[in-house]
Amino acid sequence: MATEQQEHLKIEQLRQHNADELETIAGREKENLEGWIPALATDAEIREALEKAFDYRGDVTITRKDGSKVEGYLFDRRSGTSLEDSSVRVIPINDRNKINISYADIAALAFTGRDNAAGKTFEAWVKKYWEKKAAGEKNIQIEPEKLD
Amino acid sequence: MAVPVSQAWTVASYVLTQKLKGRKRYPLVLMLEPLFRCNLACAGCGKIQYPAHILKAELTPEECFRAVEECGAPMVSIPGGEPLLHPKMPEIVAGLVARKKYVYMCTNALLLKEKLHLFKPSKYLSFSVHVDGEREHHDFSVCREGGYDLAMEGIRAAVAAGFRVTTNTTLFDGADPNSVRRHFDQLMAAGVESMMVSPGYTYDKAPDQNHFLGKAKSRRLFRAILSNRKKSWEFNTHPLFSEFLMGKRNFECTPWGMPTFSIFGWQKPCYLLQDGYADTFQELMETTNWENYGAKSGNPQCANCMVHSGHEASAVDYAFSSLGGFIETAKKFMLKPLYPDADAQKLLNEWKPTAHTNPLVQIQGSSSDELQPVSGD
Repeated sequence: MATEQQEHLKIEQLRQHNADELETIAGREKENLEGWIPALATDAEIREALEKAFDYRGDVTITRKDGSKVEGYLFDRRSGTSLEDSSVRVIPINDRNKINISYADIAALAFTGRDNAAGKTFEAWVKKYWEKKAAGEKNIQIEPEKLD
Repeated sequence: MAVPVSQAWTVASYVLTQKLKGRKRYPLVLMLEPLFRCNLACAGCGKIQYPAHILKAELTPEECFRAVEECGAPMVSIPGGEPLLHPKMPEIVAGLVARKKYVYMCTNALLLKEKLHLFKPSKYLSFSVHVDGEREHHDFSVCREGGYDLAMEGIRAAVAAGFRVTTNTTLFDGADPNSVRRHFDQLMAAGVESMMVSPGYTYDKAPDQNHFLGKAKSRRLFRAILSNRKKSWEFNTHPLFSEFLMGKRNFECTPWGMPTFSIFGWQKPCYLLQDGYADTFQELMETTNWENYGAKSGNPQCANCMVHSGHEASAVDYAFSSLGGFIETAKKFMLKPLYPDADAQKLLNEWKPTAHTNPLVQIQGSSSDELQPVSGD
């Protein structure tokens, strides 16, 4: 779920125009979070960082206060009134079993995995597509990435 | 007939039963996502951008059956990812058919022809093939030349083998209504049972963030496409939903109408938005703050949505909410209006197609010199 900061283009557009009148709607501004290690000094910082981790389409590494680490995909967060009754849920890299971690147990967070939604330079692809087409190339395509 | 009588009857009796029970919120179609990996990387898709270990993960047949039974909806749509990449898809489909669920297995059809023998024709099973338009448009959308030909080959093979085949077309900014109408002709000529068309959702993870249709343009585009219909066209969308797309009526979103289950659990609140997950269907229904979603909620992520997964269930609910709504809907189903509209014809005549200039694939990294793929199988 995008944060207000991430959706600011759309929010701004909707402040100025009624959605029913829009010809095209603003997309989202990509935020470069890959490699980020947020400060977790205050409750607000913890909540914001974990909200961004929930929205992130790459793996993160969570260090618990007991020193243990969990690396995996943070697919859910449940925000309560305090850090103790708020938690994130993670699918670890080598295990499909979901792990529940209380906000209060988190000492550190790092956005260690590649952001799989951080595509860019689309224009470059389109340009290349037309260049290849003009050169008479056939079967222009993007090969799926190997997962192993 | 766009939908078999038995299916229409099953759905109608199910909705009526929910109404008689006084249920304000009931699911209509379960969106079952058994995997996220795909053999394409479409520009407007925000479903497949995950780490490799998530893309490799799959729901087991048992998990699928449990979700279907928990939810109770009479129809199950199987999107993804590409369902045909799931090694146990035939078993999953057979299990759903055995449970007398009407199954729409969504596929890009790249593998349909070669895997067809693993499935058995049934009135309960329809292959819903995703074709985004005529050849060039579709190929550009899916970033793969030859994608259209493979999809159409799959469609023809499935039709010839006696399967029900429907299609699903998603439109973005730049769509040409004249081309879409020609596309409808081609699909009907290929023998499809019926077609579905819908505007794309503004996925915040989609590679292309610059070509999302606004509501005004969506309505104009769909008015141009869906007015002055040809008698030969069959649609498997609710007639009132198509009127909603054409700007003839308004519906609020019914996010619980098509709940979504995946390896993460039950997705809050709907198929398109990810605001957390519930472990059970009951938990989804009871703990989701439904008032936070839909256009009237003020949620910016819902402001522009006109997608069938949120609004078709609203059309169905409207039809069963009053005698007037029921009669109106029944008439539309039986008489199949063609929506003659001189202004829409003028729109069609004057529509200037735009050349493909939109970026349609995600490129990793910072170098614009190297094309890199984004998804895998």
